[in-house]
Amino acid sequence: MADPRTHRLRLWSSALVVGVVLLAVLVVPPLVQLDEQAVDLSRKLLPPSWEHPFGTDDLGRDLLLRCVYGLRISLLVGLVAALVATVVGTAVGAAAGALGGWTDRTLMRLVDTFSSVPHLLLGIFVVALFRPGVWPVIASVAVTHWLSTARIVRSEVLSLRTRPFVEAAISGGATRWRVAVRHLLPAVLPQAGLAAVLMVPHAMWHESALSFLGLGLPSHQASLGNLVQNARSSLLAGYGWPTLFPGLLLIVPTLAIAGLAGVWRDRLNPRRRSELML
Amino acid sequence: MTAENVLRALKAVSAGRAEDAVLSVRDLSVRFRLRGGRTVEAVSDAGFDLGAGECLALVGESGCGKSVLASALLGLLPGNAETSGTALLAGPEGAAATDLLAADEKTLARTVRGRRVGLVPQSPAAHLTPVRTVRSQLEETVRALTGTSRRARRRAAEDAAGRAAFPAGHLDRYPHELSGGLAQRAATALALIGDARLLLADEPTTGLDRDLVDRTADELRRHADDGRALLLITHDLAAAERIADRVAVMYAGRIVEIAPAHRFFGPAGPRHPYARGLLDALPDRAFTPIPGMPPELSALPEGCAFAPRCPLATELCSTRPEFTADLACHHPEHPRA
Amino acid sequence: MLELDTVTAGYDRRTPVFRGASLTVAPGESVGLLGPSGCGKSTLARVAALLHRPDAGRLVLDGTEVTAWRHRAPRELRTAVGVVFQQPRTAADPRLTLADLLVEPLRATGRRAEAAARLAELAPAVGLTPDLLGRRPHEVSDGQLQRACLGRALALRPRWLVCDEMTAMLDASTTAALVAAVETYREETGASLLAVGHDRLLLRRWCDRTVEWQDCLPAEERP
Repeated sequence: MADPRTHRLRLWSSALVVGVVLLAVLVVPPLVQLDEQAVDLSRKLLPPSWEHPFGTDDLGRDLLLRCVYGLRISLLVGLVAALVATVVGTAVGAAAGALGGWTDRTLMRLVDTFSSVPHLLLGIFVVALFRPGVWPVIASVAVTHWLSTARIVRSEVLSLRTRPFVEAAISGGATRWRVAVRHLLPAVLPQAGLAAVLMVPHAMWHESALSFLGLGLPSHQASLGNLVQNARSSLLAGYGWPTLFPGLLLIVPTLAIAGLAGVWRDRLNPRRRSELML
Repeated sequence: MTAENVLRALKAVSAGRAEDAVLSVRDLSVRFRLRGGRTVEAVSDAGFDLGAGECLALVGESGCGKSVLASALLGLLPGNAETSGTALLAGPEGAAATDLLAADEKTLARTVRGRRVGLVPQSPAAHLTPVRTVRSQLEETVRALTGTSRRARRRAAEDAAGRAAFPAGHLDRYPHELSGGLAQRAATALALIGDARLLLADEPTTGLDRDLVDRTADELRRHADDGRALLLITHDLAAAERIADRVAVMYAGRIVEIAPAHRFFGPAGPRHPYARGLLDALPDRAFTPIPGMPPELSALPEGCAFAPRCPLATELCSTRPEFTADLACHHPEHPRA
Repeated sequence: MLELDTVTAGYDRRTPVFRGASLTVAPGESVGLLGPSGCGKSTLARVAALLHRPDAGRLVLDGTEVTAWRHRAPRELRTAVGVVFQQPRTAADPRLTLADLLVEPLRATGRRAEAAARLAELAPAVGLTPDLLGRRPHEVSDGQLQRACLGRALALRPRWLVCDEMTAMLDASTTAALVAAVETYREETGASLLAVGHDRLLLRRWCDRTVEWQDCLPAEERP
């Protein structure tokens, strides 16, 4: 483990960033009542200033406002998608691990099949089936991201299944369902929760990638991926800030979330929990 | 730590029957501060001397604080532990003694652990690295302790294996290829490499079957006969009876009686009612348990901690008995004739 | 009557842990099975507790043969055998309190209503005080946790008890207390006991008769 000071620094800086981000996306939009879509062609591509801290884009829209809205959409998609993927992954992994036999084999071959296709390709395939919108993007993230959770949960369940406490429960008359729900699932939930949090940044990047390719959210919607995509032409014309700020907003919060997840993972380590050695 | 304590301990090291004491412990206490302001008094005012060639068995129920005592002597307690008292470890060939409780981590790591105190672990299987041969683990330890040349390392490793009666032909095996007994010897060889004068054996026989317990115990005894001091921490009274010279009984963090093993296990028997109760619980004796359970170390009673379970308890027992003449009891039983 | 008749069992069909072991425990009898560690007696205990299906041979409980089962042995037979393992730490679900641990078998078999009453009988029978019942495994000692594990094995009033090295990790007083709790239960219910272990002194003192592990095996398999 890292020394306690850098550990604390990581915890607090991550918590600060996540706190600011949450405050911004939850409080700013309803409070300021500004239209992030307001076009003003007379003020296009202005560099950062007091009036427009992030500058304006090629249609004269305020980039700070658009970034906040973009982060809001991206976070929402990330969180919901991570939740869906975790629930699906945990269910499949727990079923495979707890039931074993041909159920296990079938489910895990399904997981292998899904993972053998490149993630982005599979994601593009899913969004291509629907009209652009939030839900196809969430579905696309979920379809590509439940696999790792399923693997983690399955291996946890397999290692738990042979523990004497599970045998004792079986001996005490517990059905397979009860063993799974009462003894196995609670034991894997912390791991699954950690996997879910670690997945949020992944999901945000996946959404951004899809949007950047023009396959994600409708292009007028200010998601981070769309912002970068829209700013590409300006970048070629020599204006850096319209890509810089959405890009930073993609990187910094995802790093902070990963940082918090890391602290959580350390806490899960049982050796830290015991204060006594008797 | 007060100057008085140091003086007392120094006197104990240099005077009387503890003249050749390898380890001299005085007033050793360990407290754990827990979240929420609770304090666990894991060890209180423990004191004993251990001479060269002697085996002291520290016995008691699990959770009575005896493993904490061992960890305190090795400086391996977690950060929320507070220790007080002294534990003087005699220096090599007349050099000054080291107070194990006051020494900093650097001193402990560079000059004490492995060199002057060897630890025989509870579960050898967990103590050995599964992916490397016994020989490479022994040689690595030699290098860490002495930094000698390759050839000297090889010889030192083989010497240590020989001292622990680990067969040379098995040195190139991996831990999983060894039987339980051989794994225990390999772990003991690791403890012997530094030629430490004090061996600390923390529950070395737990979970082993009786033959293996006897063999492990006999081998530990052999190291004591070679002139080492052996502190055997165990709840296995049969193992203690087999090899110990003296027995220290620990209850709820305190040493309540120290007795010569022949008297303790012999017809005279121990004097503290708890020690008598422990012996009476053995299947080859009365096989009757001591009623009740030991108190929580976080909520110890004011007086004698054993009083609630003691058949002889009186009002006197609401004050704590002093540990004098190797006994802490208000109404000790007289040795059976 | 618990009968193991030339049972072969293991975790891999090609290399069984033991072949052709036979052992009988009469109604109300207590049998101590003695053997060194690693000989396969723990696997035999799991077979007798209906937790491990034998590869060959017969296991008969009161005249009912329970040899062929798929995932689990039938529940009414499984619950008729109580089992206690060597290491209480791994045998107790770390998330349950000791009280939940004790009555979990009642809840698992749909007898939730009896749980409170049975808990009130079980806790004193195994020597657990009320303040311990609210704690989780990491807050109690090995001995206290093993008391709870014994209580759990007795919760459904089994007709057979299988104790696999129940006291190997425990001190003398706790050992004697747990043995006394088992014997009190057996006097009340007439249950039979199969105690597996390596401590000759203990099992001779505890059981009606002791059997050496190699005497369970056919002559050609004896070490």
